Amino acid sequence: MAQGDYIELFRKRQGRRFDHEERTRKKEARGNHLNSAIAKKVRGLKAKQFNKKRYAEKAVMKKKIKMHGERLNKHQVAEQRDDSEAVPAYLLDREGMSHAKVLSNSIKQKRKEKAGKWNVPIPKVKPMGEDEVFKIVKSGKRQKKQWKRQVNKVTFVGESFTRKPPKLERFIRPAALRFKKAHVTHPELKATFNLDLIGIKKNPQSPLYTSLGVITKGTIIEVNCSDLGLVTPSGKVVWGKYAQVTNHPENDGCINAVLLV
Amino acid sequence: MVVYNFKKIETVPTAADFIDVVLSKTQRKTPTVVHPGYNIVRIRQFYMRKVKFTHTAYSEKLTQILTDFPRLDDIHPFYADLINVLYDRDHFKLALGQMNIARQLIDRVGRDYAKLLKYGDSLYRCKTLKRAALGRMCTIMKRQKGALEYLEQVRRHMMRLPSIDPTTRTIIVAGYPNVGKSSFVNKVTRANVEVQPYAFTTKSLYVGHMDHKYMRWQVIDTPGVLDKPLEERNTIEMQSITALAHLHCCVLYVVDISEQCGFSIQQQVALFDSIRPLFHNKPLVVAINKIDVRTEADLTEAERAALRTLETNGATIVYMSTFTEEGVMDVKSAACDLLLAQRVEQKMASTKVESVINRIRTHWQLKTPAWVNDIIPEIMDGKNIMDFVDPDIDRLLAELEREEEQRVELAEMEAEEQDEDMDEERVEAQNTVRALAKSIRKKKGILKEKARMAKKNNHPTLSRAVAARTKSLGEFVEHMGQMGVRTASKALSNLRGKATLKGGADALPARERRAATAGASTERRGRSPTRGGDEDAMSTGGSSYADSMVGHKRARGDGKKANQVPRDRSSTARDAAKVARSRSPSASGLRDEAQQVKLLKLGRNKAFKMSKNGRIESDRRIPDLKPKHLYSGKRGNGKTDWR
Repeated sequence: MAQGDYIELFRKRQGRRFDHEERTRKKEARGNHLNSAIAKKVRGLKAKQFNKKRYAEKAVMKKKIKMHGERLNKHQVAEQRDDSEAVPAYLLDREGMSHAKVLSNSIKQKRKEKAGKWNVPIPKVKPMGEDEVFKIVKSGKRQKKQWKRQVNKVTFVGESFTRKPPKLERFIRPAALRFKKAHVTHPELKATFNLDLIGIKKNPQSPLYTSLGVITKGTIIEVNCSDLGLVTPSGKVVWGKYAQVTNHPENDGCINAVLLV
Repeated sequence: MVVYNFKKIETVPTAADFIDVVLSKTQRKTPTVVHPGYNIVRIRQFYMRKVKFTHTAYSEKLTQILTDFPRLDDIHPFYADLINVLYDRDHFKLALGQMNIARQLIDRVGRDYAKLLKYGDSLYRCKTLKRAALGRMCTIMKRQKGALEYLEQVRRHMMRLPSIDPTTRTIIVAGYPNVGKSSFVNKVTRANVEVQPYAFTTKSLYVGHMDHKYMRWQVIDTPGVLDKPLEERNTIEMQSITALAHLHCCVLYVVDISEQCGFSIQQQVALFDSIRPLFHNKPLVVAINKIDVRTEADLTEAERAALRTLETNGATIVYMSTFTEEGVMDVKSAACDLLLAQRVEQKMASTKVESVINRIRTHWQLKTPAWVNDIIPEIMDGKNIMDFVDPDIDRLLAELEREEEQRVELAEMEAEEQDEDMDEERVEAQNTVRALAKSIRKKKGILKEKARMAKKNNHPTLSRAVAARTKSLGEFVEHMGQMGVRTASKALSNLRGKATLKGGADALPARERRAATAGASTERRGRSPTRGGDEDAMSTGGSSYADSMVGHKRARGDGKKANQVPRDRSSTARDAAKVARSRSPSASGLRDEAQQVKLLKLGRNKAFKMSKNGRIESDRRIPDLKPKHLYSGKRGNGKTDWR
């Protein structure tokens, strides 16, 4: 006990008050009433937070009660029957898997093969008009020329990018919207990495966007995955791989993508 | 004087609380109503304000944590080591480092999203960006869960640490466990340390205070130490070792003579020997305790010999019994006196003593102090002393003074007569001397006043090195001119190189630069105005500052003269870059100080305009308190008072 722990010292010397145990018990018992009173009274954001917390607590409690109520030996019964009876050798293999499962598996396999090699996680994208992607910038002495466009979406420009002289620059890609990195998820490893962008393979919206390096949802990007240590069948290290963007980068401020494997 | 108590550290919330606090603060303190029909600029502003507010709320709280907790390199080594022993230095530093990193990351997120929001073209987009920004900031904080919990625990423990002043008069009580250290502290102070008949009752440092010779003394009770190598000592023992190692104190080593503590006297002496390096340069008292059980006379010869070795090591041995209180006061006074003597000796040896010692009055000291009480005799050497005391000395003095005044008057009258005789030349010479003297007096007065102003305590002071760096060449030339030294530009080329290296273009004071700009900027294209001003101040090498400005005008048309002193362009460019890099991130893109000032001004103007137009939003804002249509014009319906 340190010198400043006067509460502990007091308890050690004088003990607690005589009805301490009873008081704590009662307080705990009254806790539920208190909580429900709060739940009735509380409004607005506080209510939202309170209810969320309460819901989570209740869910845990219900789960626990359910677990207590569950029969423990439900699954074991089926298995035990297998062990108890002797099975002829030619039937041994078949026991494990049910017939329906085999069927569904084979159907899935077939569907996969049919789909072809280049299926991507997001096959279809919502079309995006030019007026949404580009903002018209007025220019000229009287501000009446309208041939300039500002790209309103996230873009990727190469490493050695320099802007054209302002007089000739048709498409302005603002520096704040230029991205260099993407969060790429490896679907099999179920892990996400922050990888460098190498280039834009294709923007499904329009070839113009592809050439401008506009990144929207569904765009195929090329990422530098040399850090992941992927190896080709012939033993070479793969350093560039394609990935498809799965979010709206302009809304989230970051690029999320799934690696195409 | 630093006071070490860590009670003022603010509570460190848990990660979940941290997030709740910041988000609800954002919700409370920023406007909440926005509609898609609003002007897009207004929508952007609305969300940008939310992001920036959350960002500052987070970084303020994190900064608070970082400033509250002591930095181990800055505090007294005793506390630094104690913190290392109790909370593990690495862990402590790591946790604070994490906070710092979190702050940086949040700063970056805030800045990035503010930039992205500038390009938001719809309410939905702005809203999702805000959501993402706040979410990312909260995620960063959520990751600090462990560090925050650790810091909170450390804070709670640190609050309870006894406030030990490492510089004051201190007595540290040390020894084996259960020898009566705490009993002694309880006897001499009111510390109320727990005393129990088992080892390691005291598990941490306790501090008590007592009075001796009208001074406050700090007595520190330490946990017992066992005789083992330093690496094997546990946290409890290490606290005593830390205190012994770092505090300048008198060490009171308690020995149990009765051996009831479970250690023989030889063992206790052995422990003394093994931790003796910690007692180096400190006054030492060995208190032999529990003499009510076993007296000094009962000691065997071997034990006596062992105790004698202690004495040969410079320790003073005193016997006491904390039970009967016999000898306790002797121990206390022995320890205090030894420490006091040493402290006084050290103070006398230091340089500080000079300032105090001449304040001690030494006059009225007689040749032999015994004379002080002597009675002054009435008759001495056969003469009455009172005969030699003059009764009307005051009157005589007044007379003397009057005579002196008259003489002065006479002398002045004579001087006036002589003046008339004097020829013109001498008068002129005298006048010039007088004028000179007057100007000298004036300048002296100015200098005095300046020095007095500079000395006034209540303003920030520049160190001499910094002040030297801020001085410009123009000032130097001016100063030299006033001293009557004409400075040639050639001689200065060396100096100029130095000046540019140090401050770059910024070295000139703003006043000078402005003047130079007014003169030169219109005519010289592609050359910075600063350079013009600088150069001319150089090239003229005039005796005063005003001269140099005149020279500057003359030099405008004269290219050759202006180019007299070559300037190292490359070095300036490099220096500007260096200056730019060393600045804070908000000013990193700016060329020089002038640009920074301009930026500040622009920002202020904008903010003023915005607040004037009522563009700063809040939920309960009344856009116009006195709408014009209600207060002017004819009343179509009703009167001024009612409608």
